[in-house]
Amino acid sequence: MSDTANTNLKTGESHVKAVQERFPGAVLNTAWSAEDQVVIDVVPSKAPELIEHLYYERYGWLSVVVGNDERPLNGHYAVYYVLSMEGEDPSYCTVRVQVPADTCEFYSVTPKVPAVVWGEREVQDMFGLKALGITDNRNLVLPDDWPAGLYPLRKDSMDYRYRPEPVSDVENYEFLSETGDRETTVIPMGPLHITSDEPGHFRLFVEGEDIIDADYRMFYVHRGMEKCAESRMNYDTVPFLAERICGICGFAHSVAYVATIERAQGIEVPPRAQYIRSILLETERLHSHLLNLGLVCHFSGFDTGFHHMFRVREKSMDLAEMLTGARKTYGVNLIGGVRRDILAEQKLATLKFLDELRTEAGYLVEELLSTPNFIKRAKGVGILDKKIARDYSPVGPTVRGSGFARDARWCHPYDGYKHLNRSAFTQDTCDVLGRTLVRVDEFMDSLTMISELLENAPAGPILNESWTYEPHRYAVSATEAPRGEDLHWAMIGDNQKCYRWRAKASTYSNWPPLRYMFRGNTISDAAMIVGSIDPCYSCTERVAIVDIKSKTQQVLSRQQLEDYSRNRKHSPLEKRGTRYL
Amino acid sequence: MFKTIKEVLRTGNATVKYPFAPLERPKDARGKPEHDAVKCMACSACAVACPPNAIQTPLDFEANTKLWSINYGRCVFCGRCEEVCPTNAIILSPEFELAVMSKADLEEICVYSLQACVECGSYFAPTKQVDYVARILSQNLNDEEAEHALESVRLCPQCKQKADVLRFKEQSKKAGEWL
Repeated sequence: MSDTANTNLKTGESHVKAVQERFPGAVLNTAWSAEDQVVIDVVPSKAPELIEHLYYERYGWLSVVVGNDERPLNGHYAVYYVLSMEGEDPSYCTVRVQVPADTCEFYSVTPKVPAVVWGEREVQDMFGLKALGITDNRNLVLPDDWPAGLYPLRKDSMDYRYRPEPVSDVENYEFLSETGDRETTVIPMGPLHITSDEPGHFRLFVEGEDIIDADYRMFYVHRGMEKCAESRMNYDTVPFLAERICGICGFAHSVAYVATIERAQGIEVPPRAQYIRSILLETERLHSHLLNLGLVCHFSGFDTGFHHMFRVREKSMDLAEMLTGARKTYGVNLIGGVRRDILAEQKLATLKFLDELRTEAGYLVEELLSTPNFIKRAKGVGILDKKIARDYSPVGPTVRGSGFARDARWCHPYDGYKHLNRSAFTQDTCDVLGRTLVRVDEFMDSLTMISELLENAPAGPILNESWTYEPHRYAVSATEAPRGEDLHWAMIGDNQKCYRWRAKASTYSNWPPLRYMFRGNTISDAAMIVGSIDPCYSCTERVAIVDIKSKTQQVLSRQQLEDYSRNRKHSPLEKRGTRYL
Repeated sequence: MFKTIKEVLRTGNATVKYPFAPLERPKDARGKPEHDAVKCMACSACAVACPPNAIQTPLDFEANTKLWSINYGRCVFCGRCEEVCPTNAIILSPEFELAVMSKADLEEICVYSLQACVECGSYFAPTKQVDYVARILSQNLNDEEAEHALESVRLCPQCKQKADVLRFKEQSKKAGEWL
């Protein structure tokens, strides 16, 4: 920030200057959608190189890829690549590529920056835009039996309640593997599986006990939230829908959504409300990290630890209930501030809760880390290589366990975090143990932060209600949820509704690199590795419309049979699967 | 191992008696919205604010009534209804055990009569809401505008418009400037 002040540049302008110099004529237009957010319109053919330059040369990380049907506004589609610039001149750089409505084609950035692969696949599914040269052309979101040519998020395509008839009963999704010449056995896991609470289909390609490669497919329980928000909800009721994206980091989503509107429209949030938001965000981190520490115990066979973690976690749930009126879905956010103040007696009660949590969790962490079995199961398992991490832009403890200090709270400080002087916790071991230790550090730090925020929160109003809005302005906003950055992008329309709302949950960024974390481990580590990214399926699956229902079951068993006949030497796969997983 | 056993002994029994004993909830916990049918005047402010449309207020033109209905199966317990209600007719109680044996029992409906226009007889707004407006207006008796509004409070929008035009005509005549 100080650099920009000295040279009289706006926040993010140094990046614009750099790309203008490097790619003359490629930049068509630049505009600031919010104070620290610059939008660069570029010549479509130059976009891949330009994004590569921002990503690798100027220390950008991919936050989200947003598709938008702007035909009613300007006659084109648009794809927005939102990059979080975390080196010099921290800011959000959005590269906007206009896609002509007649050809619907744009140049894929995936070959240059692998991190955008899910984003571009989703844009292909939801808007029917074609990414030329994309390396992975499979459906991401839409099921196999979805009618061709029906693109859910196009403005003129369908009502949000429409459920098309399935057009095929064969599963034609191709699972990819890089196994070389080795003969591998395929172990299917899911979509409904005993070790996971939520549906996802994993294919582990194994040689004996060792995982050679893995592929997976998500989006089995689509809820169509974005479409629902755009067609049914009013823009001011969306915070309550956003809160229901996730059962764990709901409050982080609701803060992220209201902040996009506040930033895009320049709505000022009273300081006390900002402090309260941060206090509640940290409260949410408390229970989420205890949940994951419990699960890591469970996956490593230490179920006593699991039960104790959940017992202590209950205290953090009580704390949330006392402060907000609900264990989860706090429901305290409105655009412009919060609805519920923290009273003096609640402050005292909170401090007491924090003390108890610190002592109890301290015991448990010490206990966990002195359990030799846990260390053996976690150390050196599920390595997320630094290069892979850099290429795929994962978030949260997953990337911090691999040594990158990425944390939206400190890279782009917001709300009460602006007043705290801290940096992110990291570990360099890149394994399950590293990610677990990051969570332990963050949990303890959250306790300190909450008491600091309570102590320093200024008195004053908590809700600003005197504002108006201007349609079609947009901005991004990130909050650091317990699992990583939740990023929302929203544009209000002229009919009291969101014109486009894109919600990216933290786990969405962590799925693509998971494949590399599987490689070289044994089958029995698979659950441990998946658990270490603290996955949230429902977060990922907030987009499309249909669920596959019973068809999946049927198709899968046929596939299982196929796999068996292909690798006849081995025992029936189903048995293997249940034995090890 | 030793640490684990020590921790188990230190903790003791963590199980609570619920559901065999009541569960204590903080006093501001948000649970079932309790509707006070007497205070409510069917103004629909809650229905407009309700994010999941759990509260709906459809008009029944056959019976000339307005329904106020809540579906607890849809309710997300956000408390926006409580916040916007002008008469404090809806308050979130800490009650959270809402399970029922039949889905239909999740819905509660109140029926409110509509006010007929004293001029043309068409129904236009809930009687209680009209009474509420009349009561507020009658508290501002020194205000000329409020007095006129009170005179036409039981007129439907069309008749009110007509009355306003006539009044304007009278006023203009008095002032002697006929437009």
